[in-house]
Amino acid sequence: MRKYIEFARVQMQVHAAYSAWFWANTFSVLLRMLVIYFFWKAVYSNRSEIEGMSFDGMTTYIIIAMFLQMFVSGVGRELAHTIKDGNVAIELMRPYHLITRLIAMDIGDKVIYFIRGALPLGILAFVFMDVTLPSTWQSGVLFLLSALMGIWIGTFFDLLIAILAFWTINLWGLEVMKEAVVSFFSGALVPLILFPEWFQTISLFLPFQAMVYVPVAIYTGILTGTEAWLAVGSQLIWAVLLFGLLRVLWSVAMKKVTIFGG
Amino acid sequence: MIEVHNLAKHYKIAKRDPGLRGAVKSLFYRKYETKEAVKGINLHIEASEMVGYIGANGAGKSTTIKMLTGILTPTSGEVKVNGIVPYENRKQNASHIGAVFGQRTQLFWDIPVRESYELLKHIYEIPQKQYEETLAEFVEVLHLEPLLGIPVRQLSLGQKMRCELAAAFLHRPKVVYLDEPTIGLDVAVKVRIRSFIKQMNARYGTTVLLTTHDMQDIEEICQRIIIIDDGSVIYDGSIQNIKSQFGDKRVIHFELENSDNFILPQELAHAAQVLPREEEDLHKISITFSSRDISGAELISIMMNHYTVADLTIADPKIETIVEEIYGRGMKKEVQHEEVH
Repeated sequence: MRKYIEFARVQMQVHAAYSAWFWANTFSVLLRMLVIYFFWKAVYSNRSEIEGMSFDGMTTYIIIAMFLQMFVSGVGRELAHTIKDGNVAIELMRPYHLITRLIAMDIGDKVIYFIRGALPLGILAFVFMDVTLPSTWQSGVLFLLSALMGIWIGTFFDLLIAILAFWTINLWGLEVMKEAVVSFFSGALVPLILFPEWFQTISLFLPFQAMVYVPVAIYTGILTGTEAWLAVGSQLIWAVLLFGLLRVLWSVAMKKVTIFGG
Repeated sequence: MIEVHNLAKHYKIAKRDPGLRGAVKSLFYRKYETKEAVKGINLHIEASEMVGYIGANGAGKSTTIKMLTGILTPTSGEVKVNGIVPYENRKQNASHIGAVFGQRTQLFWDIPVRESYELLKHIYEIPQKQYEETLAEFVEVLHLEPLLGIPVRQLSLGQKMRCELAAAFLHRPKVVYLDEPTIGLDVAVKVRIRSFIKQMNARYGTTVLLTTHDMQDIEEICQRIIIIDDGSVIYDGSIQNIKSQFGDKRVIHFELENSDNFILPQELAHAAQVLPREEEDLHKISITFSSRDISGAELISIMMNHYTVADLTIADPKIETIVEEIYGRGMKKEVQHEEVH
């Protein structure tokens, strides 16, 4: 356990080493926030609500979703490249579990990102962009729980896709496709309630809405009461399912590597 | 320490017809070809031995090492390192082996060297006191002090390799695999690295398996060499022995007062040859001969009778030339093989 904590710690240190990159990133997030804000301001200019959502509710949803999406994508890229350039062989010679190590490093990344990026920008959004707090403290707590689960699901999905690097050559295509599917189906771009009925029914059976839509919908009050608890329940099912799938696929991949030599 | 019996590894390689048609065809139907990378080898290496494991590119060296480290599962045969079957207990095996791959880095790219070592301390669960002692020792022997604060990505190749070596030995592993640890390094760094390896072996009894193309490494570090060619062991024994078995070829360099019209004396014509002269040193004549045909002393005295010799040096039989000769034979076999096809 100690070694994984150390990995997380070192990763935070690495982050500190790239401060120019960090500021550039923060700046681009700030720009995106402004674009979103003025876009929706224009949309709402001659109406007061869309599908029952007020302007404040919509900006709150979009901005919280934007932050959450950044935490949802995990360490897939790192894993995929380790596999592709063959360094996975060296990793396998070490007395640790590679996936656990990557997740530990990812946690380190995200802690730093939360402190240096999401928190200050979030406060900025509250002060200047009409982003509101959750309506009740219960939905606030449930949001935190649901958001953590969403991050968990997103990370595992990311890793699952990355393991496919053992079989495919076109990594880049896979990454782009995953990115597109996730941002569309997860509700990171717009709340899923804006989509047609049939689309919402389909996404109910996919893991993507559990990544972003469910937690943010709980935050903004789209999902409340029993509905909210049911959604969190389905998140739990996805989390367990993806965890199991990841373990199976990883052990299949390991067999392939150790038998065919990568 | 390392026990290997009848170890074999076959790879399945997808065969594809050339061109676009072949690529499309391979989507539906693939022909596989089996390549025998390692064909039933036996190794028995005692604790604290230092063994050179050499062979041409593609001879099966890395495949063997991968099986010893547990990254690859053998097709057949048995492997045991320190009493553990590596591919069954990979993590357990990992905690008491160390490795350096000359072409890949194992340190952590973005953080200073010292932090990398701290991390390794946790990964291998090295007790704090032992860690401090070992690191202090390595810093002294490999002159790492000025490097400790620098991120790995900013180190030169020689500096990085010294750091890599320290990383491989840091947890005092029982077995260390060194795959071309001196590739691309200058002589001074090579010398330091060799002496470090020898020192580790003397102090901690570390078993070392060294693969390299640098014969100087082998001659200075190993007592024993194993030569592998085309997946089979073709020699396993002491360096001395192989020298006396194959090393009857000698070279003597003469420096003559006047070498402009040099012709090999009649008496030597049957037993020796003149090597082509080097551009920058036209006064030097190098003569090669086999000690079975003529003794060195005889050759020198004949030369002295015919020419005024200013200076001479007798070159020791180099393992390098010997191995080249053995590879050469292996290569010939392959050529004949292909002609048969």
